[in-house]
Amino acid sequence: MVLSVNNITKYFHEPETFQVLKDISFGVKKGEFVSLIGKSGCGKSTLLYILSTMDTDYEGQLTINGSLLTGKPQNELAKFRNEHIGFVFQFHYLLPEFSAVDNVMLPALKLGKKSSEEIRNDAMESLALLGLGEHAEKPSNKLSGGQQQRVAIARALINKPTIIMGDEPTGNLDSKNTKVVFDIFRQLARERGQTIIAVTHDDGFAANCDRIIEMVDGKIVTAI
Amino acid sequence: MMSSTNLKIAFKHLSSRLKQTLVAVLSVTFGISMYVFMNSFMTGANEVQTELAFSSMAHIRVYSDLPESVPSIAQPTGRDEVVFVRNEKILGDYDGIANAQPIVQFLNENEQVVAVTTQVNQNVTFRNGALKSNGQLSGVEAASEDRMFGLSEMMVEGDWNLLATRTDAIVLGIGLAKRLSVKNGDRLLVSTSEGTEKSLKVAGIIQTNQNNIDKNKAFVNSATARQLLLKNAGFCTDILANLKDYEAAIPVSESLSNSIPYKVEPWQEANEQLQAANGLRNVIALAVSLTILIVAGFGIYNIMNMTVNEKIKEIAILKAMGFDGRDITQIFLVQSLVIGLLGGLVGMVFGFGISRVVDSVPFEFAGMTTLPIIYSPKIYSLALGFGLVITFLAGYFPASKASKVDPVSIIRG
Repeated sequence: MVLSVNNITKYFHEPETFQVLKDISFGVKKGEFVSLIGKSGCGKSTLLYILSTMDTDYEGQLTINGSLLTGKPQNELAKFRNEHIGFVFQFHYLLPEFSAVDNVMLPALKLGKKSSEEIRNDAMESLALLGLGEHAEKPSNKLSGGQQQRVAIARALINKPTIIMGDEPTGNLDSKNTKVVFDIFRQLARERGQTIIAVTHDDGFAANCDRIIEMVDGKIVTAI
Repeated sequence: MMSSTNLKIAFKHLSSRLKQTLVAVLSVTFGISMYVFMNSFMTGANEVQTELAFSSMAHIRVYSDLPESVPSIAQPTGRDEVVFVRNEKILGDYDGIANAQPIVQFLNENEQVVAVTTQVNQNVTFRNGALKSNGQLSGVEAASEDRMFGLSEMMVEGDWNLLATRTDAIVLGIGLAKRLSVKNGDRLLVSTSEGTEKSLKVAGIIQTNQNNIDKNKAFVNSATARQLLLKNAGFCTDILANLKDYEAAIPVSESLSNSIPYKVEPWQEANEQLQAANGLRNVIALAVSLTILIVAGFGIYNIMNMTVNEKIKEIAILKAMGFDGRDITQIFLVQSLVIGLLGGLVGMVFGFGISRVVDSVPFEFAGMTTLPIIYSPKIYSLALGFGLVITFLAGYFPASKASKVDPVSIIRG
C-alpha cells in the first residue's frame, strides 16, 4: 500500500454544519491508476485535498509511503508534499511570468537535492517527452490550454513523486487534448509504475483506469 | 539563509510589474532625500547660529559668582537671649578675580585650550558734553582679545591696536558712538559707580553686527579699566578661554572647576536660549522628515498588500508544490527590502544633489555667503537606516499575511 486512509471524517461549518465525508477508508497500491468519481458535491475533491496533505482539518488517519501524516505540522507536510506528491489542477496551473521550463524546475529547486543544471536537464527531457521541447523557453502564459496542462504534468513529475494527484485534470480541455493527457497518464502508470489518483467527471476517462472509486454523499459506494 | 529559488521568484515579481515597483521605489526615494536635505539644512543653520554667537562669546568663562544670599549675622544663639542687629552692610570683596595670572597660566597649560584672554568689565556712564549714555566698558588685552574674537577686522574707523599702546584710547561700538555723537579722534568722559572719572580719546569705531556690542559697549586697555575700578594689577572680572572643540565645553569646564575656585561656565550654560533654539530646530527637522518616511512606508504597505492579493493564486500553487509559509514570507519580504534599499540609495544621492543646489544659493546675511548646509555621514546613514526599517515593517505584515494563505480555499474557489 502506497497510500491508505482510515476512518476519514470531515465537516463543513459554513453556512451550517454539514458532514461532507463519512468514515472513508481505502488503500491504493503502487502503480495503480485510480479514478475518484461521483456527482457534484459528493465530496470527492474534498477527499483528494485531504490526500494531498494540503487540507489538515479532518478526523481519521492518512498514511503515505508508510509515514503517518495526520497531525504533522504544516512545514513538515509541505516538505513531504514537495518530495512525494505531484499535483495537477484543473485551472490554475502555472506561474505566468516564468517560462515553461522554469515552471517545471520549481519543485525540484525547492527540494534542492540536485544542482540547477541537472534539474534543467531533467526538465527539458520531461518537456521533450511530452512533445513540448520547442516551447520550453516560452513564457507559460503564451501557451495553449492543452500545452499548459502538459507543462503542469511535467512539473508534477519532476521530483519523481510517489503519487500523482489530479483534480479534474482534463476538465478544462477539449476532447483531443483530453485524450493526449489521458494517454500520458496511462503511459506513466503502465510503463513507469507511477501511482495516480485522479478526480474526474469524465466517465470515459474513468472507464479506462485500473480502478474506480465511486462516492455518493460522502461515502464510498463501489471500490472496484 | 535566504533560498536562491525564493530570491528568483521575488525578483521575477518585481521585474514583471516594473511600473508598480518604480512607484514604490520613488516614494521611498522622496522620503529619504527629504530626510537628508532637511536635516542637513537644519543642522547647518544650527551650526551657523552657534558660530555666530562665538564671535562675541567664549567657549568657557571664568568669573566670580556672587552667592544667592548672604546669611545674616543675626542668628539664633540657642541661649535665652535676644539678638538685635541694625543696618547690616556687606563689607567683603565679593566681585571679580583678585589674582588672574595663575589661573591664566593654568588654562594655557591645558591641552584642550587654544586661546585665553582676560577682561575687566563694568557698567559706566559715557558723557560727550550734554549727551549721556549708559553702557558697558570692557577693559581688554588688545592682542589676545583680538586673537579670540577677530575684533580688529570689524573696525570701521581707526585702529584696534591703539588700545595696547595708549592708556587713554577707547573704541566705541558704532551704535553707541552715534548715540553720543562722537567721531574718531573726539574726546569723551567715562564715569563709574565708584565715583571715578576719566577722559578718553576715541581711537576707533567698531561694527560687529551684534547689538549687545555695537549699541552698548566700548573697549579700553585693561590697566585703564582697573584704574577706574580702583583695583590692583592682576585683577580682572572675567577670564575667557576657547577650546579646540567647542562641543567639549561642558566636560572641560567640569574638570577645570576642580582646580579653579571661581565659577567655570561653559557656553551652553550661559546661553540656554541658543541651545533651546538649536534643539527645537533639530526636533522639527526630525519630526517632519520622519513623518514623510512613515507616509512612504504606508505607500509600500499598500503596494505590497495589493501585490499579495494579485498573486494569491500563485501563493496557493507554490504551497501545493511544497513551498512552506517561511518561503512565502521570504519571497514577499525580499521585494519590500529591495524597494527599500534601492529607494534608499537613490534617495541619498538625490538628497545630496538637493543639498548641493541649496548650498549654492547666495544668502549674504550675518556673515554667511550661501544658505547653510552640512554634509554629515551620520545623517546619510541614519536616513538609509530609517528607510530600511520602515520598508521592512511595511513589507513584513503583507508578507506574513501571504504566508498564512490556505491553498485549498484558493484553489477550490
